Amino acid sequence: MRLLITGASGFLGRHVVAEALRRGHSVRALVRPRSKFAASDWSGDIDEARADLRAGPPPSEIFTGVEAVIHLAADKSGDLHAQFGSTVGGTEKLVQGMAAAGLKRLVLTSSFSVYDYTRIRMLSVLDEASPVAAHPEARDAYCWTKLLQEQLVRREAEAGRLEATILRPGVIFGPGELWTARLGFKLSDKLWIRTGAWSQMPLSYVENCAEAVVLAAETDAAIGATLNVLDDDTPTQRRLCRILAASVVPTPRIVPVAFSLMRGIAGLGGLFNRFVCGGRAKIPQILKSESLMARCKPLRYSNAKLKETLGWTPHYGLDEALARSTTATPPYDDVLAKIPTVAAGAHAQKSRTPSGSAT
Amino acid sequence: MTATRKRTLRTAVIGTGKISDEHLSFVASAPDVELAGVCDLSACSAQFAAARFGAAAYFTSHAAMLEDCEPDVVHVLTPPATHDRLTRDCLAAGANVIVEKPIALSGAAFESLWAEAEGRGLSIVENHNYRFNGPIQTVHDLLTRGELGDVTDVEVRLSLPIRNEGGRYADENLPAGSHQLPAGVIHEFVTHLSYLTLLFTGGFDSTRATWSNHGGGDLFKFDDLDALVLNGSTHARIRFTCQTFPDAFTVTVRGTEGMAVADLFLPHVYLEKPRAGGDKLSPMVNRFVNGKSLMKTAWTGLQDKIMQRTAYEGLTRFLEGTYEAFRTGGTPPVTHDDMLMTVRLVDALLADAGQREAHLGMAGHGRAAQ
Repeated sequence: MRLLITGASGFLGRHVVAEALRRGHSVRALVRPRSKFAASDWSGDIDEARADLRAGPPPSEIFTGVEAVIHLAADKSGDLHAQFGSTVGGTEKLVQGMAAAGLKRLVLTSSFSVYDYTRIRMLSVLDEASPVAAHPEARDAYCWTKLLQEQLVRREAEAGRLEATILRPGVIFGPGELWTARLGFKLSDKLWIRTGAWSQMPLSYVENCAEAVVLAAETDAAIGATLNVLDDDTPTQRRLCRILAASVVPTPRIVPVAFSLMRGIAGLGGLFNRFVCGGRAKIPQILKSESLMARCKPLRYSNAKLKETLGWTPHYGLDEALARSTTATPPYDDVLAKIPTVAAGAHAQKSRTPSGSAT
Repeated sequence: MTATRKRTLRTAVIGTGKISDEHLSFVASAPDVELAGVCDLSACSAQFAAARFGAAAYFTSHAAMLEDCEPDVVHVLTPPATHDRLTRDCLAAGANVIVEKPIALSGAAFESLWAEAEGRGLSIVENHNYRFNGPIQTVHDLLTRGELGDVTDVEVRLSLPIRNEGGRYADENLPAGSHQLPAGVIHEFVTHLSYLTLLFTGGFDSTRATWSNHGGGDLFKFDDLDALVLNGSTHARIRFTCQTFPDAFTVTVRGTEGMAVADLFLPHVYLEKPRAGGDKLSPMVNRFVNGKSLMKTAWTGLQDKIMQRTAYEGLTRFLEGTYEAFRTGGTPPVTHDDMLMTVRLVDALLADAGQREAHLGMAGHGRAAQ
């Protein structure tokens, strides 16, 4: 397939490009004008297009020959307007460009952050049928804009202008991205509060996630589906913390606090905001029930729908994924240009290990 | 200006960028104001703003909105280069217009726009929100009561990290539209700096401005302004920098009887004046009084941070006064002379940068406009 991949220079984007190339697809990487991404760094059928989706619909030639768009570009930082401009505005412009080019197939990468963790019962299973945030403004700009992005794509699909698959990855981890917000609350670079020790971590190793993203583009049965993307091995927060503390340097100092205590403190914070501040106060994330629940509430997770729809199983178990995340070379080294194409294919095959043997 | 004398004013907003949050918050909560519509080139953005602030409808065409909503008041909150065209369209539709700064990109353009409004019996008002912030009003009141004597020196200083990576002005992928303005990004701020200067100098005779690009590169035309503004015996300095820490927005006014510093980011007024105890004890009493005031500011600053009160506090007062003027037919709190003098001072500062090809002689114009 000829795939257009937005956000190709990002953390997930680089791995999606690699996976698409490994699977023999032709890739057009859409990156921002000043991005350091270069198609010439990769081996395989790849070229690059430069455009900033915030500026307007991409020119129609960018879509020439493209059969499906994998849309990863979004903003996680900045204020509400900055994130809205990139995540929602960028998607709006992309969809306009696709419509002008007569292209319908879209795989959108959304996020687990869209769920309403305050309405999901403790220890129950979070799956695609779980409710999404009714008041995303109470959580944060990321949740709000990702939800708006999904709504936009869903509207376009319902109107028949898109054939869309919405993927909601859990916590994507990999090289350089090991400490996640789900481990608790960062007070400083050297100090974290960990709460919710027995919460399962909805981890998605970046290479496993990338494979699911590309598979979604390949699979007609995924059209119209919303799928959670997470690995089979979802360790407890306590277990992951211990693994990371043993393998990641430098390690911040971790102060464990009982989830029930944090829940009580956050509840008081909410009451103070509501009755003393009229709901207008900006409360630290650690004192907001919505954020605490989203990050640390003890829940269970299911990837059954993803497996059933895509026929996907994660290639890498947790131990191997962590090992691949802490080596000096990037996991997509096999599809970088320095390796001849034929050898790269062989290397890619050899590097694959069934998840069973890794754990 | 023709008095509308309408109890409920129908309002529409063009442009739903970041500043629109401040305007729309006011409109959504103001009594006797109906938010009839919002408009943005992005349908998503317009729809989002309409949902957040309870607008009756959203549009992607301002012409369609003006026709459908028939607003009494329109807020033009789009990039500066579009202000003239959109303001004229709003006036043609019979609406009074509140325009974000700068209302016009030259004194001549402003006078043409004003003539258009006046010819239609309508008002145009530029947002001079910082004039209405508490600390500025306090210093102005001190002057009015004569507690600082005659003004001799004014310094308006704004320090903002516009070059910081990740900031909207430093984004090289999608350069902010203001980079194309005559003074580049500083043009977005120079209106504020100018009207605050003029509030305390009363006008200007001459200027000498140094515009610099200390950080270099092609993205920024300038990242630094150091200007001297003279009005009779009153000296004023306008300073914009992105190099100093911490971020600051202060106005210092020195007079023959005392001095005051208005801090706009951490709202506070530092005041030195003759105190009980005479010349010998006044310096010590001033420090005790200001020390107490600063401690109080630390607490109120924390409260402001928690309650998300921003330096836009003056915008509400500005809009309240402007809407009252629209409703009653009175004079808006920012007058024709305020706007004209401001845009002429900006012209003069730009002329020093050699940025304007067709530059009118400025000397004495500010005074004449008083």
